[in-house]
Amino acid sequence: MKQIALYGKGGIGKSTTSANLSAALSLSGYNVLQIGCDPKRDSTRMLMQGRLIPTVMDLVRERGATAVTPEDVVYTGFNGIRCVEAGGPEPGVGCAGRGIIATFQLLEKFGTLTGDVIVYDVLGDVVCGGFAMPMREGYAQEVYLVTSGELMSLYAANNICKAIQRLSTRPRSKCRLAGVICNAKNLPREEELVAEFARRVNSHLTEYIPRDRTVQLAELDRKTVLEYDPSSEQAQKYRDLAARVMENTRFTIPIPLEIDELESLARQFV
Amino acid sequence: MSLNHLPASSCRTDGCTLTGALSVTTQVRDAITVVHGPPGCTHHNFSLLHATSLDHDRVVLPPLISSGLSETEIIFGGEGALDRTLDRAISRHPAAVFVLSTCIVETIGDDVAAVCNAKTGVPVIVIPTAGFLGGSFQTGVNNALVALAGMAEPSPGRNEQVNIIGEKNLEYEVDENFAEVARLLSLLGLSINTRFVHNLTAGQIGSVGAARLNVLRDPSLVPVGEYLKEHFKTPYVSGFPVGLSGTITFLESVGSACGIDPRPAIEEEHGFEQETLDDFADIAGLEVSFSPLFPVQDGDGVVRDIAHAFRVGVIPSGKPVPVPVTPPVGITGVRRMLHRWRRAIHA
Repeated sequence: MKQIALYGKGGIGKSTTSANLSAALSLSGYNVLQIGCDPKRDSTRMLMQGRLIPTVMDLVRERGATAVTPEDVVYTGFNGIRCVEAGGPEPGVGCAGRGIIATFQLLEKFGTLTGDVIVYDVLGDVVCGGFAMPMREGYAQEVYLVTSGELMSLYAANNICKAIQRLSTRPRSKCRLAGVICNAKNLPREEELVAEFARRVNSHLTEYIPRDRTVQLAELDRKTVLEYDPSSEQAQKYRDLAARVMENTRFTIPIPLEIDELESLARQFV
Repeated sequence: MSLNHLPASSCRTDGCTLTGALSVTTQVRDAITVVHGPPGCTHHNFSLLHATSLDHDRVVLPPLISSGLSETEIIFGGEGALDRTLDRAISRHPAAVFVLSTCIVETIGDDVAAVCNAKTGVPVIVIPTAGFLGGSFQTGVNNALVALAGMAEPSPGRNEQVNIIGEKNLEYEVDENFAEVARLLSLLGLSINTRFVHNLTAGQIGSVGAARLNVLRDPSLVPVGEYLKEHFKTPYVSGFPVGLSGTITFLESVGSACGIDPRPAIEEEHGFEQETLDDFADIAGLEVSFSPLFPVQDGDGVVRDIAHAFRVGVIPSGKPVPVPVTPPVGITGVRRMLHRWRRAIHA
C-alpha cells in the first residue's frame, strides 16, 4: 500500500490536485482512498459530484465517538474511490489539530486505512502537531509539496520542508519528501523556478501542471477533469502525475532554505 | 549542572497554579469552585484538599466540581460544557461561584470569561490558573486572593482589627500558626477581623477592607498586600514572625504600623523567650544535623539561629533532627520544633 500526502499553501490547489490524482490512479486500476485533513472539508467534493460528505468529526460531535461506525465515515465516489473527510470544530473554537489525531485513531480502529493508494490532502500549513499526524506513525511515507512559482507559495512549501525534515530524522520514521508538484499560475519561467526550488531543497519536480480553464469548467460541473473531459491535455497531465507518483523511488530528507536564499532564488527567475 | 540527587526543591515550591488557587477558594464554605478542565485536574486536587481537611480534623468535602472535559470537548471547544457546569453550580444556590481554568482550556483558547460574564444572579468570578503559562502554586494563591478581594465592600469604614492574609491552608500547622499570631497581636491589644481566606463564608469577605492592618503569611504575598493597600488604604506587615528575634521584630512592625507602643508586649514576650530557653536547657551542648528529607529553603538561617540560641551544635555527624518546610512561626512554633528535636535526640 502506498500512502501519500499533499501539503502546500492554502488555495494553491491541493484538493484539486488530490482529487484529480486520485481519479487518475483509480482509472489506472488502483483501489484508492482519499482523506481530506482540513476542517474546510472540501477535499473530496469533486469526487462526490459536488456533495459535501459528513465528516468524521461531525459524526463524533453529533453522536459521540462510540456510536460512529466505519460505514458512516466512508463514502464511495467517482469510479469507486473511497472518500473520507476528517472535518473539525467550528471555526474559532476548540482544537482542529486534536481533531485530526482523533480522526486517525478512529480510522485506524475501523480498519479503514486500506487499499492500493491512500491520498491524504492536508491543510495549508503544518500549524501544529495535529496537522503533522499524516506524516507521523508511518501513515503517509511520501509527502508531495504543491506549490506555484509565487514567492508566498514557495515560502509555505519551504516551511513544510522544515516539518518533514524534523519528522523524517526521527528514529524509525519512514516519512520522506517525495517531490514537488508545480500547480502553475502560468507565470513566466515558473517551471524552471519550481524545479530549481525542488533541487535546492534536495528533491525534484514531479510534475508541472499548467493552469487551464478545463479545471474551472470541470469544477463548475462538480467533476474532476478526468471525469469531465478525459481526452483533454489537462487530464493527460494528471495521468502523467499519477504515473510518476507510482514510479517514484526518490524519497529524500529535505533541506529547507533560509528566507533570503529563497528570495534570491525567486529573483533569479523574474 | 547540579549533582545534588536530593528531591529538587522546585518540586516543593513551584507546584500547580490551579492547586494554589483551590487552596484559597475551597475555604469559602458557601461558594462552589468550578474547575474547567478534564476530570483528573479536579480529582487529584479534591483528594488533596479532602485529605488535608481530615488532617485538620475537619470532616468536610471541598465544594468543588469539574466541567469534566473529554477529548470531544477539547476538539470542539469546551465552552458549552463550562456553561452547563455553571448552571449546575448555580442551581445549588451558592453565595458565589469561582471558575478556575486549566492548562488544556487555555491551550485550546476557550473564552472562559465570556461564558462566566453571561451568568447573572450569583457572582461568578474567573481566576485564570493555567500552570503551564509559568505560574507557580503561589501565583494561584495570589491570583485567587486578589480575585476574592473584589467581593469586598469598596468603602467599608475602618475598624480596630487586623486581617490575616493568605494563610497556608494546606500546611499541617495552619491553625497553630494562626493561633500564635493571634496571641502576639493580642499582646498589642489587637483582635482578628478576617482570616482572608480560611474557613469562612462569602459574606465575611465583605469587611476585608475595614481592617486597620493586614498581616501577610509570608513575603511572597506582597503583591496581594500591595493590592489591598491600593484599594483599601490598609497598611501591611509582610510576614508571620519566624524564630526568636523575628517574633520581637514582628511586634515592633505591627506596633509601628498601628501606632501602638510595642514595648510592654515585647517585654512580656522576652519573658516567654526566657522561659523557653529554660524549658529546653537540657538540649544545650548536644549536636544535631538537619534531616535532609526535606530541602531546607528560606528557613535554613532561621533554624540555625534557633540552634545557636539554644547552644545546640549543627554538624554533619550530629543526630538527625527534622526541620520544618517553613520556618517555625513565633516562639510557640520554636517550642514545637524543639519538642520534636528533643524526641529525635532521645530516640
